[in-house]
Amino acid sequence: MLKIKDLHAYYGPIEALKGIDLKVKEGEIACLIGSNGAGKTTLLNAISGMIKTSGTIHWDDVELTRMNCTKIAKMGIMHVPSGRHVFPGLTVKENLEVGTINWRGPFGAPKFKEDIEVVYNLFPRLKERENQLAWSMSGGEQQMLAVGRALMGRPKILLLDEPSMGLAPVVVAELFEKIVEINRSLGMTILLVEQNAKIALKNSQYAYVIEDGLITIDGPADELRNDPRIRQAYLGKLAEADKP
Amino acid sequence: MYLYIQLALTGISMGMLYALMAMGLILIVKAVGVLNFAHGQLFMLGSYLTWMLTYQLNLPLWGVVLCGIVVFAICGAAYMFCVYWPLRASSWKVTVVISTLGASIALEELVRVIWGSNPLTMKPILEGTIRIGTAYLSYQYLFIFLIGGGLMAFVYILFEKTFIGKIMQATAQDRYAADLIGIPTIVAVVCTYAISMCLSGTGGWLAAPLFLVSQSLSSFAQKAFAGIVLGGFGSVKGAIVGCILIGLIESFSVLVTDRYKDAIVFAVLIIVLVVRPTGIFGEKIAEKA
Repeated sequence: MLKIKDLHAYYGPIEALKGIDLKVKEGEIACLIGSNGAGKTTLLNAISGMIKTSGTIHWDDVELTRMNCTKIAKMGIMHVPSGRHVFPGLTVKENLEVGTINWRGPFGAPKFKEDIEVVYNLFPRLKERENQLAWSMSGGEQQMLAVGRALMGRPKILLLDEPSMGLAPVVVAELFEKIVEINRSLGMTILLVEQNAKIALKNSQYAYVIEDGLITIDGPADELRNDPRIRQAYLGKLAEADKP
Repeated sequence: MYLYIQLALTGISMGMLYALMAMGLILIVKAVGVLNFAHGQLFMLGSYLTWMLTYQLNLPLWGVVLCGIVVFAICGAAYMFCVYWPLRASSWKVTVVISTLGASIALEELVRVIWGSNPLTMKPILEGTIRIGTAYLSYQYLFIFLIGGGLMAFVYILFEKTFIGKIMQATAQDRYAADLIGIPTIVAVVCTYAISMCLSGTGGWLAAPLFLVSQSLSSFAQKAFAGIVLGGFGSVKGAIVGCILIGLIESFSVLVTDRYKDAIVFAVLIIVLVVRPTGIFGEKIAEKA
């Protein structure tokens, strides 16, 4: 279980996170929704050790707050960044192979055939494009590759940052099917960060709303979907009525 | 006819020397995003270190080669920790560039303090010349050709076929993502600097018998830079081709003039850049590391 208590983060004098409390239970998909600049990505960067913070982050009973990013990744906390960040000059297969660094070390050479099989079963398209360079793939495929690469690291929890960004609605729907499948069939715990509140709430069990560095609303995703505040601010139901 | 063969072979060999430096430069640029202006000094340091191993420690050839690799790797790592590591988080990237400029002066002075400013002589790996028809070519050029080619093949295999090479490529291509998936990026960066120093240092060792061991060896970096720009900045393959072209131009310019061959090299460079600002292979192969 991921537990975050009173987390603060700063960019110079600007306070980006102002005391976040958040929990992700094992085996569930929790989502964090909020608008641009609310602090979603900052929170994920804080969990994966990319920025300095005050407050505490626990994974089960281990405190992550003072660890560096390599150690946190080794704990099984795998952050898939927004904008995908696949390695452009490596092939699909090489991207996946590099993902195994998390448990094999830079000089080891154990086998990873089964791991790659799991990823290929999940995303058959990656197998078809095995030898293609990552930069030449479409956005949706790159997102699949980014998720697949994270899975190669044998994670215990996936932190997905805006997987839907810049993708066509059809592709987003397909991707979320896969995310749910990863959660169901592999029992993966997932913290999903999304701007697309509708699809995020539909596919998760618990939800948090972040506004200006603070969690303002949280609850089971089903409840939040019918919450008038969320409908107004994030699902655009009332916004349509405002139109002339 | 034989003269042309001789010029071509010397040109390619000299190009190989520049290419060894250029490869190291590009690897560092890819890994940390900063041009290393002390690269010529690393090349010079390589020649002094091998001179020390040969004449001060009196090691046999195989000893020089083995110790040389170890010493170069350590120097590369130490160079990284002194010049790049303390400044890695600096918000202004030029800080590191300036630190490499400072390192270039420091290295030259260090070498002057230890070995003095008089040029030292180093014997070639094998003395004598090979006869091609009516032309003669010193064996050293052939060694440069063979060892340089071998090292290039080694670097290619290391980066394309081994896991640690892919880790280094991944780190160079996207540092942020590399951190997130658990790559110990410091290991990758240290390895890159160590390899880079090995390439330059070997270049210095190979060049020493032909040009004397002196501080002016560091000016070889200018030709390596020229080769990188000529080939199209940012790709190792482009840099190798560019450097060999520079070597050939330099070598064949002897037919026209002896005194102004550097001027000819840079004149050609300027003309190429006017016609093709991206360099010869600019767009084509810039995508792949």
